[in-house]
Amino acid sequence: MLPHRSRLSVLVFLAPPLLLFGGGVLLPIVQSLVLSFFEWDGITGLDFVGLENYRALLLHDDVFRTAFGNQLVYLVICLLLQVGGGLLVATLLMTITRGREVLKVLYLMPAVISTPAIALLFQRIYSFEPEGLVNTLLGAVGLDALARPWLSDVSTVLTAVSVPEGWRFLGLYTVILYAALLSVPRELEEAASLDGANAWQVFARIRFPHIMPVFVTTLIMATTYALRGFDIPFLLTNGGPGQASELVTTYMYKTAFTSGHYGSASAISVIIVLECLVAVGLILLVLRRKAD
Amino acid sequence: MKRKQFLALAAGTASLPLVAACGGSSGGAASTAAAVDGEIEPRAISWLLSRPANGPVIEIMTALAEDYAAEHDGFSLKLITTPDRPSYIQKYETLAAANELPELFDTDATPFAAKLNSAGRMIDVEDLLTQLGVLEDFRPAALDYQRFDDGSLRMIPLEFGVELFWYNKGLFEEAGVEVPTTLDELTSACEALAATGATPIAVGGQDAWPLERYVAYQPFRIAGPDYVTKLKSADAAFADEPGAASAAWLAKLGEVGAFQQGFSSVGYADAQALFTSGKAAIYNMGTWELPNLATSALPEAMREQIGFFTLPVTDGSVTGADEFVAPSGIGVAVNAQTYDPLVRDFLAFVLERYPAEYAKSGLLGPTGIDPVVPEDALPIYQEAIGVAAELGEATLMPWDTQLDPATNSRLQQELVLLVQGDVTPEQFLSTMDEALTTNAPKYFED
Repeated sequence: MLPHRSRLSVLVFLAPPLLLFGGGVLLPIVQSLVLSFFEWDGITGLDFVGLENYRALLLHDDVFRTAFGNQLVYLVICLLLQVGGGLLVATLLMTITRGREVLKVLYLMPAVISTPAIALLFQRIYSFEPEGLVNTLLGAVGLDALARPWLSDVSTVLTAVSVPEGWRFLGLYTVILYAALLSVPRELEEAASLDGANAWQVFARIRFPHIMPVFVTTLIMATTYALRGFDIPFLLTNGGPGQASELVTTYMYKTAFTSGHYGSASAISVIIVLECLVAVGLILLVLRRKAD
Repeated sequence: MKRKQFLALAAGTASLPLVAACGGSSGGAASTAAAVDGEIEPRAISWLLSRPANGPVIEIMTALAEDYAAEHDGFSLKLITTPDRPSYIQKYETLAAANELPELFDTDATPFAAKLNSAGRMIDVEDLLTQLGVLEDFRPAALDYQRFDDGSLRMIPLEFGVELFWYNKGLFEEAGVEVPTTLDELTSACEALAATGATPIAVGGQDAWPLERYVAYQPFRIAGPDYVTKLKSADAAFADEPGAASAAWLAKLGEVGAFQQGFSSVGYADAQALFTSGKAAIYNMGTWELPNLATSALPEAMREQIGFFTLPVTDGSVTGADEFVAPSGIGVAVNAQTYDPLVRDFLAFVLERYPAEYAKSGLLGPTGIDPVVPEDALPIYQEAIGVAAELGEATLMPWDTQLDPATNSRLQQELVLLVQGDVTPEQFLSTMDEALTTNAPKYFED
């Protein structure tokens, strides 16, 4: 227990960031929650409709359902690329000694490029006419039959918009996981090797359990980012063709700023917040079960 | 295009909390008449607009604002421009909801604008133009395009154009097709063109409106301009004959490969390049692109090849061959809440000089003044200008200015799927009718 005076000073120092957080994050969430019980077009007055916005979204809105499913696929692809790919690359980095720093910087590079630049880049990469990188490569190895307008084909577009987001932050998670791997005590690994453990066993029994806390943090970060993912799909396809790459977030944006249904859009934003909380809760729950 | 989209996006997301914060503070019932008393007090005013950067409208307005500022110390006109239309609309609607629209803002006569108008947030432009004594100078068609359904005029047109089908004579010859006179002939022409390996029609799907024009063509020929007027308030259905014919026709166009592959993610400039580089045979575009299509700006190989035809008819068409899309572009609305003697005086200054200046740009203007055809124009330039003089009575109103925003954005999405063959015409019609009955009442209840 802290003495009285220093408890007061802790409070004094914690209050400003708390106020900022409350005013900048909590207050808008509460406002969205309130607005989600109303119908509002931005011009005329507010109409209280109770839970009608939620009912319409969950029961009658086929676009919302599609967007929700798409967001889950988007989440899986991002997690695979970011956390899975990040772990793989970090482990591989551990095995080399020369050029590590250069590679780390190179992997991290996309994370510092601005989103519109990445969107432009991938628009060209996926382009069909004029032929972009993907289709050129396919042609070069004789797979012309697979060449297609990746961003216009309803069966490929969702993957096509998810990959840039995954690729973009691959380096960030690589660096975090790499730093964690560095902290694994060498003696333990060596002792295990002496006892006859192979590389996989060293990874699965020693390294991975050791970096678990960091891994959970990266998993939570990547999950919440992917559930809020918006910019690249919005810039690349604006949710199209049809609703094939519509995410809950892009749909929320359109509902508010194109359709002018601010109440319904607020309901979607509340659902996104809940979605993130549930996802984080699930991750923690599963891991706690495992730990017990 | 992408950068601009991002800017609008940034503006939109930045104002997200703002939108949540400003519930219900919609505008008071300001007087919408154009008369206003008092001293002119020069200040900085802003114009939220969606026009091509460095286009004639922006250049002329900037120059006129500078002239006005020279006489009125302290005046300046700040332009907030978002040429990319979908991004613009998001920005404009967000600002409207936040009650932060500037003195002047661009808008079409959409249901959203009608709501703003009924909330008393726009000045009566008919009254303003009458008081300034310039109403008679405007082309009636240019004014009519800006009017709401009840005939009220709240936007000033700054442009005028007719939309034509530009075509490549060489590619037509190669495919052995004639200029189509009916919409069905257009389909068979596309089929023949596709067989030669050319792209029949270049369309910029990313902007959404170029493809949306096509959905309006069959209904305009079969039922005239009334269909969409009834449709938007759900007094008619997409599944009715004109809509059904349109869906079937578009599906057929998609089936014969009329549009370039991957058209839905192709931008405005790329689509035009596809045509001007001689790869695509047909390009549906307004006369505002004449400087790029009918002057020495056009690649040399195309200059002999380019021709145009107007919107084909159908058998038993109720509208004539001289009736099609003749828009006066997005109009300028005057914010009633910030309207004062200065705004009025500035508009008087501008409207007196603008038409003559605009004619010098070589484009058809909103008034009757003939454009000055540029020296490097191809003969077809004058021909295209001439079409405007022979327009019929009825005008095809683009559907994106007619439908409520939610139905409209659903239509834009579903059209892509329909043309790509991802949904059948029946699915398209039932999806659209459902979207319409859900969303239209929110805009057209009264």
